[in-house]
Amino acid sequence: MFALSLDLIWGFGGMLTFGHAAFFGGAGYVVALLTTRDLGPLPLSVWPAIALAALAAGALAIVVSLVAFRGRAPLRGVEFALVTLAVAFLMEQYARASATLGGQNGILLSVRLEAGPLSLHRGHGFYVLAAVLLVGSYVLVRRFLAGRDGRVLQAIRDDEERVELLGYDAGRVKLVAYTLSGTLAGLAGAIFHVHDAIVSPGAVGVGASTLVLLWVVLGGRGTLLGPVVATVVLQHLTATLSGLYLETWLITVGVLLIVAIVALPGGILGWTVRGAQR
Amino acid sequence: MSAATVPAPVLEVEGLEKRFAGFVAVDGVSLTVAPGEIVGLIGANGAGKTTLLHTVYGRHRADAGSVRFLGEDVGALAPRDRARRGMGLVFQTTSIFPTLSVEENLRLGAMPKSGRASLGDADAIERTLVTIDLVAERAVAADDLAHGQQQWLEIGMALLAEPTLLFLDEPTSGMTRAESRRTAELIRGLRAERPDRSVIVVEHNIEFIAMISDRVIVMHRGTVIADGPIDAVRADPEVQASYLGRRG
Repeated sequence: MFALSLDLIWGFGGMLTFGHAAFFGGAGYVVALLTTRDLGPLPLSVWPAIALAALAAGALAIVVSLVAFRGRAPLRGVEFALVTLAVAFLMEQYARASATLGGQNGILLSVRLEAGPLSLHRGHGFYVLAAVLLVGSYVLVRRFLAGRDGRVLQAIRDDEERVELLGYDAGRVKLVAYTLSGTLAGLAGAIFHVHDAIVSPGAVGVGASTLVLLWVVLGGRGTLLGPVVATVVLQHLTATLSGLYLETWLITVGVLLIVAIVALPGGILGWTVRGAQR
Repeated sequence: MSAATVPAPVLEVEGLEKRFAGFVAVDGVSLTVAPGEIVGLIGANGAGKTTLLHTVYGRHRADAGSVRFLGEDVGALAPRDRARRGMGLVFQTTSIFPTLSVEENLRLGAMPKSGRASLGDADAIERTLVTIDLVAERAVAADDLAHGQQQWLEIGMALLAEPTLLFLDEPTSGMTRAESRRTAELIRGLRAERPDRSVIVVEHNIEFIAMISDRVIVMHRGTVIADGPIDAVRADPEVQASYLGRRG
């Protein structure tokens, strides 16, 4: 879901961002605070906390969009990418320094993903939950892309100024897409961190933001399903190699990534589709 | 002629100026365009034609002067707001959306006024595909079209927004003679389709302008030096000296 949300704005909208983990990790922190603090109506139970965390990520995306896309000099291209890099860097540093957010150690979560007697926290239950949310997100994004704003978003990727000259409000369309993307990344982050039982500063930082970029590049930018496939492949590869090669697994994954990105410029899905067409 | 029989101008430009770091690209230009008029805008390279077009459209902010469109002062409006009021612009360098198909490009041209893609839009898109001669290429990525076809696609996109005033910036640039003739037919057809539609065409090719224009405006060093029917403009000594390269 995290990779899919990035593909929406980067693959289809051309908005390269180095700060997408701000929504993913940020929602993790929100759900942690809402479920662990004893203040007023807090702590909340897990599902309302997850919903609020996703909405908070969407609200953060609106704030970023208002600054980036609706100001007197809207940000595009490298400028936008650098601002998102700065946001990710600042959020990570703040999380490390903040006692409220648990500093370097982050916050431990003790709530579980449960629906009545049904446990969705581990094993098959969690995979079913993740699959349902993924399919729901995929359908939502596909519907968005097939609609008016989705078509305009894809045109913005090609030529934003031309879109404006045709009479569209490109900034508004980018705001809508970015908010949808941020909300989905937030929902993914909230679920992930409840499942992981911890959220730490790395979750909002540049490292996590770069990792999701790799998933999208490897899977095939602008394909939606490609990044999902790449995420599964890469995570499985990482888990397998880290068990086999304790000292060198990161180097091995890095080399494999470079080879894959150079050899498959359209990503895994692009390569598969071309292969099927031959 | 009484005031009632003289239609109000579609476009009134008064004392328009545009400077770039001290260089005066457009220097106090005034002109009007009547409903249904096809106006040719000619001049040597650097005369200020494209800058004038883009300043009127709002792509450049004017340093002085005013632009009134359908009676409204649009000087403070963004290009998208001028587009929504009925201005359309076709670039010199084609700026279609290369990864989208011909039909998707046209759909984008149709959407700003219609609000959402509907059955009516589909009819308009079909008609436009016929007009621009790209029916067989409807599913082709715009990037894969020939240059002339890309230019026609861009004209088609502009038409689908149903502009009252259409600016065409060197529409035959890079075209073959046959493509240029087809483009002239296309431009003449715009008025046949909607008699109140006005068109301003920037061109170097004076023969092309002679084929399509009711009136010709000649620019030289940022100013208008002649404005009238093509034969009168051709005979103007200042135009001959500064643009057509004839003296004495």
